[in-house]
Amino acid sequence: MTAAVVAVFVGAYVLIATERIHRVAAALGGAALMVLLGVVDAHVAFFSEETGVDWNVIFLLLGMMMIVSVLKQTGVFDFLAIWAAKKVHGRPFALMVMLVSITAIASALLDNVTTVLLIAPVTLLVCDRLAIAPVPFLIAEALASNIGGMATLVGDPPNIIIASRADLSFNDFLVNLAPLAVILMFVFVGLCRIMFRSAFTYDEARAADVMELDEREVIRDRGLLIRSLVVLAAVMAGFIAHSALHVEPSLVALLGAGALVAVSNLQPEEYLEEVEWPTLVFFIGLFIMVGALVEVGVIESLGKTVTEAVGSQYFLASSVLLWGSAVLSGIVDNIPYVATVSPLVQGLVNSAGADTPEGLGLWWALAAGADLGGNATAVGASANVVIIGIAARNGHPISFWNFTKYGLVVAAVTIAITWPYLWLRYYAFG
Amino acid sequence: MRARDLAEPFPTVSLDADAMAAAQTMAAARLPGLIVCGDDGRPYTVLPGSQVLNFIIPKYVQVQPGLARAFDERASDELSIKLANHTVRDMVPKPAEADELPVVDVDATAIEVAAVMARMHSPVAAVIDGNRVLGAITVSRLLTHFLPA
Repeated sequence: MTAAVVAVFVGAYVLIATERIHRVAAALGGAALMVLLGVVDAHVAFFSEETGVDWNVIFLLLGMMMIVSVLKQTGVFDFLAIWAAKKVHGRPFALMVMLVSITAIASALLDNVTTVLLIAPVTLLVCDRLAIAPVPFLIAEALASNIGGMATLVGDPPNIIIASRADLSFNDFLVNLAPLAVILMFVFVGLCRIMFRSAFTYDEARAADVMELDEREVIRDRGLLIRSLVVLAAVMAGFIAHSALHVEPSLVALLGAGALVAVSNLQPEEYLEEVEWPTLVFFIGLFIMVGALVEVGVIESLGKTVTEAVGSQYFLASSVLLWGSAVLSGIVDNIPYVATVSPLVQGLVNSAGADTPEGLGLWWALAAGADLGGNATAVGASANVVIIGIAARNGHPISFWNFTKYGLVVAAVTIAITWPYLWLRYYAFG
Repeated sequence: MRARDLAEPFPTVSLDADAMAAAQTMAAARLPGLIVCGDDGRPYTVLPGSQVLNFIIPKYVQVQPGLARAFDERASDELSIKLANHTVRDMVPKPAEADELPVVDVDATAIEVAAVMARMHSPVAAVIDGNRVLGAITVSRLLTHFLPA
């Protein structure tokens, strides 16, 4: 039975990684086979905390997607980008710094893909007005979204999975990964200066064109914008206080989404517009497949083997997790990767001590590796794929290697900086 | 009434015609579209005015219509510059989308013409007699026929 379960899991994983069939079909097909094999029943799939669908992850994603749907209607991203372009008087490098900063901050608070979907169109507009090539700006935004997304629990789906599995709070991410994200953003800005140096041609006349843009014009509904920002601030406060309030982040997000629906007067098709149902269903299929591995004891056996192999070499394990996750996340989707590896890391963390710096360092290594590794290739993260699609539709094709040659540098440098950060914080002086 | 009776003289352009000139022809005569002929003189496709707008208006504005408000008059005027140095071929839908043409035979009935235009969302149907373009039927001409005063 165990061999059959492993075969189904590996088969589905190969299909997901190679994209031979849609990842939702692969995950649901794998989950269905686990049911047919008799390993998974309704209790195992839906109600067990160890083996079932992690509803906290599903509903946190759903709530955040609904919040984004409402925010999208306000034009706030268009406003911010035009305001930023005017603030720097159309100077290209300063503009890039502003845009990547906005993208990174927004990606920490919202979903990466949505952030780049909202920031890319206005980036194209500003670059058009400045008569400069938009490709470096778009690539930089995708890379920044993956760095910024690492900073919080809600910033990147792997973080949500890790938080739920490890029982880590929003503040845990804020205290442990946000400082690293800030450091990496400073380094990233320096890298942009070098990597895209030929893109920063300043034309005073074109800059004057940008100063003519009126950012207030792009706000579609000022009242809705104010109400949305108030609710978003309340949601963030709820995330920060969720441990003290004993309310799960998923409930905070759902309450926020509900509040926005109540105050926005939008129709269901509008406030559900950004809900990626295929992604949510993919997560459900994935959780059931991983749950089956747990159910038949594969994860426990693997966990024991890994724990024995690691012994007390937790920094070595952390290093392998960081670099290994980065390499794998550059090649395959980091969501199934983290969903699969998390139970293994859990075993390792338990042996190190769940609340010890050594144990926590393992979780942060996994999160940083998976989030930052997505920058390595054009297909390493959803945000990269989305940016490449937007660029192509607007007549600025970005080839796989054109993206990857920048992404690889950024991924390698950011991981290389993360490594000593982990060592210093959790192993040398932890 | 047959297509030959409804057809009106209509300008045609070749695929290699200048895009700006084609758009100006459309604008000057207030036409809903132009018939585009291939190298063999037969209709290749209909270029509706909306396709010209689709070519001119940046995709990012089409995706995020709120951005259109950021364009001042001067920026709007500059959009038409995009037509310069382009041909009609650059503006027409890709071949896969143009497999079926809004073309009717001279003997087609008014309902047949309307069905072709409705199915293809085309404001114009070219009327051909053998290999020769006899003219075209516009939506307004067809509606005038269906809705007599």
